[in-house]
Amino acid sequence: MTEIYLRLVDRVLTPLIVVLAISLFLRGHDYPGGGFIAGLTFAAAIELTILARGAAPVRRQIGRYLLPLAGFGLLLGVTAPLLGIYTGGFFKSIWVKFDLLGVTVKVGTPQLFDLGVMLVVIGMSLTYLLNLSERGKEQESPVFAGHR
Amino acid sequence: MEMSLPPTILAFPVAIPLAFAALGIVFQLMRPTRAVPMQQFLAGIALVCNLAVASVLLVFTLSGGRLAFQMGLWPAPFGITVYADALTAIMLFFVGLLSLLLLPFAMASLDARRERQGFYPMALVLLMGANGAFITGDLFNLYVFYEVLLMASFVLLALGGTPSQINGSIRYVVLNLMGSILLLLAAGITYGTLGTLNMAQIAERMPLAPPAVTALIAGLLLVAFGGKAALFPVFFWLPSSYHTPHPAVTALFSGVLTKVGMYSLFRTFPLFFPDLLIAWQPLLLVLAGLTMLVGVLGAFAQPTIRRLLSFHIISQIGYMLMGLAVALIPSPFGVGFGLAVAILFLVHNQLVKTALLTGGGQVEIEMGTGKLNELGGLVSQKPLLAVLFFIAAFSLAGFPPTSGFIGKLGLIEVTFATDKWLIAGVSIFVSLLTTMSMIRLWQYIFWGKPHTQRRSRSEYAPSTTQAMLLTPTAVLVVLSLLIGIFGQRALDATQIAASQAIDRKAYIETVNLQPTPGVQASEPSAAVLGTRMSAP
Amino acid sequence: MTALMLAVLVGVLMATGAYLILQRGQIKLVLGLALLSHGVNLALFGTGELTRGAPAILPHDAAEAAQLLAARTVADPLPQALILTAIVISFGVTAFIVVLISRRDAFTGSDLAPGELAGVINSADPFTPHDPALALPEAADDYDVFAYELDEVYDLPEAKELLGHEEIDRE
Repeated sequence: MTEIYLRLVDRVLTPLIVVLAISLFLRGHDYPGGGFIAGLTFAAAIELTILARGAAPVRRQIGRYLLPLAGFGLLLGVTAPLLGIYTGGFFKSIWVKFDLLGVTVKVGTPQLFDLGVMLVVIGMSLTYLLNLSERGKEQESPVFAGHR
Repeated sequence: MEMSLPPTILAFPVAIPLAFAALGIVFQLMRPTRAVPMQQFLAGIALVCNLAVASVLLVFTLSGGRLAFQMGLWPAPFGITVYADALTAIMLFFVGLLSLLLLPFAMASLDARRERQGFYPMALVLLMGANGAFITGDLFNLYVFYEVLLMASFVLLALGGTPSQINGSIRYVVLNLMGSILLLLAAGITYGTLGTLNMAQIAERMPLAPPAVTALIAGLLLVAFGGKAALFPVFFWLPSSYHTPHPAVTALFSGVLTKVGMYSLFRTFPLFFPDLLIAWQPLLLVLAGLTMLVGVLGAFAQPTIRRLLSFHIISQIGYMLMGLAVALIPSPFGVGFGLAVAILFLVHNQLVKTALLTGGGQVEIEMGTGKLNELGGLVSQKPLLAVLFFIAAFSLAGFPPTSGFIGKLGLIEVTFATDKWLIAGVSIFVSLLTTMSMIRLWQYIFWGKPHTQRRSRSEYAPSTTQAMLLTPTAVLVVLSLLIGIFGQRALDATQIAASQAIDRKAYIETVNLQPTPGVQASEPSAAVLGTRMSAP
Repeated sequence: MTALMLAVLVGVLMATGAYLILQRGQIKLVLGLALLSHGVNLALFGTGELTRGAPAILPHDAAEAAQLLAARTVADPLPQALILTAIVISFGVTAFIVVLISRRDAFTGSDLAPGELAGVINSADPFTPHDPALALPEAADDYDVFAYELDEVYDLPEAKELLGHEEIDRE
């Protein structure tokens, strides 16, 4: 049975950490932050949910999407450098600047790459965390002892 | 004939497998019954494209071309350099070919569980890591690609998750991780001393480093790469893990993993430490001899097909190191002849060892066991496999007219010419032992009466499955025979690769190092180096 | 002084890591590997010049940058990038080993490797309580388990019991 306080903390804190993760991601490139940190922070938010509510419901909800998410991130991560070939070479960055509601927004392939990194990190670290959280509960099966 | 290629092509040996592996992982989202055929299809496309790129590079480099490309177009020592010459292209081509040939084998033999757990994407990631390690021109990047390769191999090794696999994987992971740590340390010391990680610039500056530091870096690299290649004192991870995964995985590993380690030795030693390669020749020859002997003697004690063959992998690595040790000794056949033979031997070994492992794997899959004393009499059930296995076994032992004969003949010729009688004698002796071991293996599997009442599963399997299992063995054996018959042609090609690999000046020129901003052009880069050297 | 301390620290970390790896328990193995990679990361850190409180950023102005470089009050960014990469990689590998070991623990019900455990128990150690249920085959990694896999008998109840894993089926 999980703790009532932990569930409360989860309800309040998890969305906040997710927002923090997204802001860390958007800050990346020019300031401290970026895809890797953002991915880990995001995974930490979900880990809080795992602690508060147990691994099983989290696995039911998002378990099957984790690996494909990492795959999609990897795909983004390889697409971004390949786009660079258009401007001269693999990994050459392309930046686009435009005004959105009076704010200059800078978007480029390095951000796409970073997004890929973030998705890979989220997918892989959550797979790992879920795996370990479940393993503690698993019934021990001494295979070799039962064998012959 | 002058050809020209856009250097960006060097991105594709890494980008193609990675992109298709990523796509394959995305398809994990679908139901396994649909995802797996999709992943197989994607893997097929990726492998064909990869082989096509490798073939283009092979043709280009064998006509004397070299390519270098800077990631993101950052000038040379600052960005990551990617470099390809004939040695690189040969490795890319044969690893790509092996992976493509193993695809039907894997499709026919893998169980549903392993396929669902993502065998195909992981095999592509393994290929990407290997290709990256071949083409990179940056020491730290080499470490990163090694880790990619190892991560994929960890997953492939543990795929299926049986106790024996988990057990083998832990040994494999731990011992390989130690090797990677040493490689990282070597990269760190290189950067600390020479102020660069670009391999061309390392080659340029290495003569300026203190001899002790050079020796330290060389030693660390020898242990790290030697560990990956399973050289004598650091080979223990191989026989304790290679027999545990699915036969298709073992075959893939034998063609890729140890060979990447050997390639790195071929690449870095003539480039960074041409003097040490001569000074350390006795050490390298002793290591080579011991690797051969220990491998082949270990093979005699092994009770199963794949355990026996994994010890032979170690034994054969010794021959390649022997070629490297005499690479720079002037011989009547020209400088670099030893390396040329070693490269040829490496290719031969990739082909033949994979053929043996797919052939042996087919036996294991169909008979349900790989224990030698439970097999026997298969020659009447599977005559074609018996013949192919026989040729592959004798190619490994070094009989004409196979590729093994050319490789061993060249190695013995060059060691005789440079008066290395002892190692030549050892290698001949080991060949004899290999022959005995191979005869023993063949006899146990194929000769005599069937040991048990166990029937081959092939009686129930459709004939297409049969053909898919047999294809890689057949193609590889034919290739081995072709290399053996057209031995001089093959040796000419590897001679080009060897002379490119030992030509340090051309490597540095191809990479096209830019001067460091802030340092005057009149000031050689030694100035930068000097400040580092004098720092306490 | 800082460099010397760093060197000593690297040495201590590496030595402790090597010692832990040579121990029997699997958790010590993981800790040892972690310490070894930390040691190497610190060694990498030492390959750049050790500066205090200096960021690894050069100003755009060339003269200012040259002045900073001459006074050596700027950190070398490359070792930091290398360490970051190395940390990420060792994190991944450590995670993998931890999962492998926890899975093996689930198989064997203990912290020791099956082969090792067999050695300990079968050697009639007077301090080990003998439990027949724990008598393991000497070589745990042989074909007895493998034979089942090759026949694709995962649906057989006995094979499932033997291999001890649940079928992950998302259909």
